[in-house]
Amino acid sequence: MGRKAKDILVKGVIYLATGITLSVLLFIVGFIFVKGIGLVNWDFLTRDYNEKVVYAFIESNDVPLNIDKQSLNEKNPYDKRYETHLEGPIYVENIGAAIAKVSYKNHSTEREQFVITYIEKDSPLRSAIDSTGKEITIGTDYIVQSINGNDFAELTLAEVAATIADESGELKVKIVQPGGGIKSNIITTLYMVLLSLIVALPLGIFGAIYLTEYAKPGRLVNMIRFAAECLAGIPSIIFGLFGMAFFVVVLKFQISLISGSLTVAIILLPVIIRSTEEALKTVPMAFREGSLALGATKLQTIFKVVLPCAVPGIATAVLLSIGRVVGESAALLLTAGTVAQIPGTLFSPGSTLTVQAYYVAKEEGNIELACAIGIVIIVIVIVLNILSRITSDKLDVFNKK
Amino acid sequence: MDANIKFNTKNLDLFYGDFQALKAINMEIREKEVTAFIGPSGCGKSTFLRCLNRMNDLIDSVKINGEILFDGQDINGTIDVINLRTRVGMVFQKPNPFPMSIYENIAYGPKCQGMKDKNQLDTLVKESLVKAALWEEVKDRLNKSALGLSGGQQQRLCIARTIAMNPEVILMDEPTSALDPIATAKIEDLMSSLKKDYTIIIVTHSMQQAGRISDKTAFFLMGEVIEFNETPIIFTNPHDKRTEDYITGRFG
Repeated sequence: MGRKAKDILVKGVIYLATGITLSVLLFIVGFIFVKGIGLVNWDFLTRDYNEKVVYAFIESNDVPLNIDKQSLNEKNPYDKRYETHLEGPIYVENIGAAIAKVSYKNHSTEREQFVITYIEKDSPLRSAIDSTGKEITIGTDYIVQSINGNDFAELTLAEVAATIADESGELKVKIVQPGGGIKSNIITTLYMVLLSLIVALPLGIFGAIYLTEYAKPGRLVNMIRFAAECLAGIPSIIFGLFGMAFFVVVLKFQISLISGSLTVAIILLPVIIRSTEEALKTVPMAFREGSLALGATKLQTIFKVVLPCAVPGIATAVLLSIGRVVGESAALLLTAGTVAQIPGTLFSPGSTLTVQAYYVAKEEGNIELACAIGIVIIVIVIVLNILSRITSDKLDVFNKK
Repeated sequence: MDANIKFNTKNLDLFYGDFQALKAINMEIREKEVTAFIGPSGCGKSTFLRCLNRMNDLIDSVKINGEILFDGQDINGTIDVINLRTRVGMVFQKPNPFPMSIYENIAYGPKCQGMKDKNQLDTLVKESLVKAALWEEVKDRLNKSALGLSGGQQQRLCIARTIAMNPEVILMDEPTSALDPIATAKIEDLMSSLKKDYTIIIVTHSMQQAGRISDKTAFFLMGEVIEFNETPIIFTNPHDKRTEDYITGRFG
């Protein structure tokens, strides 16, 4: 085979490899997007995962239906994730809203429920208040369960409509806000990122400063460096087991935000130490000499000259760390739990996005919901990437001329 | 003791690990003179210069025997190294301004010493830049990064930064070797004007430079001072054959 033919062959292999890698990547991301995008909407991002029951107080007031029957029928509860349409809708004038009977699915249980499908513009439901007098919003996929103490269970849609129409004056309506959202998971993830960085960043940076600026090269430093590298390579489930045994059990922190973030902080340490060390090493010796020759102390030299030069590198470390926390699931599963709620204190459990994705996929078999969470995770990671690139460019002392 | 002697070294030996870089150096350096060190690469002249403000402390394997007296005090003994370095400033071979604004570069040293007053700092920055013949060129962009200056300007900034500490001695380690002839000429002019206020010790590879600006010249070879004398004598009538060989270009 001639040299030229060989060249073409090798080139072809290189292009093919690149092409395969790229298409696999695109396929995965595309798959997640196609599978999950149908579920991503504002409600998904802002609702709790669990249903919320509230009693709404409204003043009954006859509101005629302003749209024709045909278009009312088309207004199914838009949230089709959990519902199969069974009957209706029927428009009820005294609450100015249409109700349909659906088969409602949540947490792998399925029940027949009555769901609001349409709310008229002047409907009294629009000015509903709760028992404390606070205004509440009622949407078109909320469930009504009783009115003035008359429970709707076991009733047909026509009976329910009649029951509601019979009431007048002030009405007390038991309403269920559907769950299925990931607000709590987003907030838990942000808490986790913040807390673990607060712990790991100073430790890692000071550790790196010790290794590059103070420690005399030798056995000890090599051992520390080797240990840090080993730590970086250990699968996170091991840290999870440690966190569970130590933070959760020995220190009695329980399965909680603090146990989770401390465990993740340990996972982050090697990453932060390594990248800060690399950043410090690239700061020219001439800056240190120049500073010392001006009678600055070693500490002044480090904090006023060396560290500012290393900021872009440290920003990279922060970015990598955030990515790590957002992506961490095994360790958090064991230390922070799978409870989809906003942690009220440091010692309350909470599940991050990845843990929630695992949970809904594995425990509830809801792959689509897991993919929707996946989309949110991907978007968060991309946004963080862009942000950190911008900030590290802004902070780069060598960029300012 | 002669009050005009700034530095006095007695039997100074220096080792890098097992390698002896300086051998029994005895030298008296006078106040408000320019002293030049010349010699081939690796002869120990820079090493000796860095002994004078203890920059060799940064290198772990260095071991020093003998005495270096600064105004009669042993710098490896009683003097605090931070204090020593504020009194003995240094300008390096490659311009090394910090990646900060021009103003901050000059104010850095005084700030590290605890000077906080804005007016005082402003005055000091201006004075130092004027003395370093850089004021006219940078007065409109004091808050711009020092990295935007040309190489020659950066080196003068480094000199200004050193002057801002109001040192007694300025050590210069081949300060013009990274600069073009015009920038070099400016720095040489600057050195001549600084001579009346400061003691200047300069390491140089250019014998012409040593001849032009220095009062005294020391010729180093293999870690030893072969000859130390008035500059005109070194260049016109050296006592040692090796000095003559070096300055006439027969080796080195």
